[in-house]
Amino acid sequence: MSGAPASPVRSCLAAAASLLVLAGLLLVPLIGASGNTIRLVLITLLWVATSLAWNLLGGVAGQVSFGFAVFYGLGAYAAAFAINGGINPYAAFAAGGLTAALASVLIGIPTFRLRGPYFAIATIGVNEAVRIVMSNLEITGGASGYRLLATGRFSQGEHYYTALGLAGLAFLISWFVMRSPFGLALRAIREDQDAAADLGVPPFRCKLAVHALAALLTGMAGGAFARYTAYIHPDGVFAFTTSISILLMPVIGGLGTLLGPVIGAVVYSVVQEEMVVNFPQFHLFLYGALLILIVLFEPGGLVGLGRRIARGLRGRLRGGPGDPVVAPAPLSRVGP
Amino acid sequence: MTDLLVVEGLTRYFGGLAAVTDLHFRVREGEIFGIIGPNGAGKTTAFSMIAGSLAPSAGSIRFRGREIAAWPSHRVVQLGICRTHQIPRPFTGMTVSENVEVALRYGRREAARRGAVAAEVGRLLEFTGLSAWAATPTGALSTGNRKRLELARALATHPVLLLCDEICGGLNPAETRDLLALLRRLREAGITILYIEHDMRAVMGTCDRILVLNYGEKLAEGTPQEIQRNEAVIEAYLGRRTTARPAGDPGGRL
Repeated sequence: MSGAPASPVRSCLAAAASLLVLAGLLLVPLIGASGNTIRLVLITLLWVATSLAWNLLGGVAGQVSFGFAVFYGLGAYAAAFAINGGINPYAAFAAGGLTAALASVLIGIPTFRLRGPYFAIATIGVNEAVRIVMSNLEITGGASGYRLLATGRFSQGEHYYTALGLAGLAFLISWFVMRSPFGLALRAIREDQDAAADLGVPPFRCKLAVHALAALLTGMAGGAFARYTAYIHPDGVFAFTTSISILLMPVIGGLGTLLGPVIGAVVYSVVQEEMVVNFPQFHLFLYGALLILIVLFEPGGLVGLGRRIARGLRGRLRGGPGDPVVAPAPLSRVGP
Repeated sequence: MTDLLVVEGLTRYFGGLAAVTDLHFRVREGEIFGIIGPNGAGKTTAFSMIAGSLAPSAGSIRFRGREIAAWPSHRVVQLGICRTHQIPRPFTGMTVSENVEVALRYGRREAARRGAVAAEVGRLLEFTGLSAWAATPTGALSTGNRKRLELARALATHPVLLLCDEICGGLNPAETRDLLALLRRLREAGITILYIEHDMRAVMGTCDRILVLNYGEKLAEGTPQEIQRNEAVIEAYLGRRTTARPAGDPGGRL
């Protein structure tokens, strides 16, 4: 699923491309982009961070959670309280992330005893329970929301670089995890949890760990979002649709891959931006249709589709068959 | 020889059905110990309890003197017991060498500490004859190679006691012969093997001692020769004689 082992040439190309993209993103606020453009890229970067985070749990480890709004919201509220309490905003983001990570352990201990769809359904329940509690608590401002006190001058650039830093952090962490023995264990759990345990992988502990890591990143993104918008309310950050969005992006882009969640987040944000203004409900239809198409025809998402097209083109250039599949290996007769 | 594994009073119920009842046996260090029995005799159930995949309803399992009944499987692996599956369960989204690497990294700590993971993976693939498929996604493997991969992965955890569940099931005679030769080489390397098998010829030619299960209970235990002559075993496999036969007729060959 995560593709062939990268050759040195391909690794160099990928590194060069990443640096180029990074340089471009660093320059966005400096080359006189409009405030609106910066806002769009900023929001996209926050989605990239959460999308990558979800992918670690849902894509790499195969545990589909519909409850990531809980971490996004807890991170947002924890950071908001901390900032209003006079704490440095970056420490506040960390506090938001840690709060979410702690919550992820508390949620994970009961729910990770369930498998597959049962786990997914349990996370829906947790998400709704947390949203309703948060909507009725005095301390969160209830359904009328919570306002962050302005500290110092508003600097869109600073918010932008915070979001860029978070997206970069999520990308680096994903890169490390996918190349580490831990990532290998997570993939084994995705393929067959019991068989993994029979080889010494502790599934429960691994799932709790990756859940916490994903929640940490999601919570920090929630915190950055709260500081940027300066106003949050439970029906926004804790909404079930937030959970769906976080899950949708990596699915669109390509589950279990490194680039997929990034591409998915970009597609999602741009579609959201273009659609919501002109056709307030149409984007929901579009996501629904996209999801059905992906599940039916290209489970690898946009990355999978891209790979398939690339293979087809290469095959045509060589004059060979368009879409070579892995040939079944002949029966082994290799003696000991 | 010392007893490596001591099983006493092992029992497992599925609802009202007793799959394994009051099972006693001892596996000695360095032997190939076979468990045979007709379909549904409780072989795999007993096996899963030893490997930690299934909690016993009652009884004790001691490995090197330590009680391990109801331990989770990943901890049992750390002690040095690893199983293969009757129906291979490769991680299909991963390559053959990645499958082995997981076991190497997460198996017994001694295994991971050896360093040079790639070299060790290569050695295991060579031993099991899978070198040519190292980079193949396991979904594309043949049945024979999937069985070999089960073995390679289990060995990667550096087991003291290897549990093989019908490792020759579904293989052709040549493949069976190759795999049995591998098992004997493992015994020479000092690995104790607990071996479930359906294929009588494979069991009789490979095992040092055999336990026969029937309806979840021990029917007989002994060397292959003793088992082949055992009346109760012959009856369980071939049915009761209905007509009197002259004395000296073995009644059937296993």
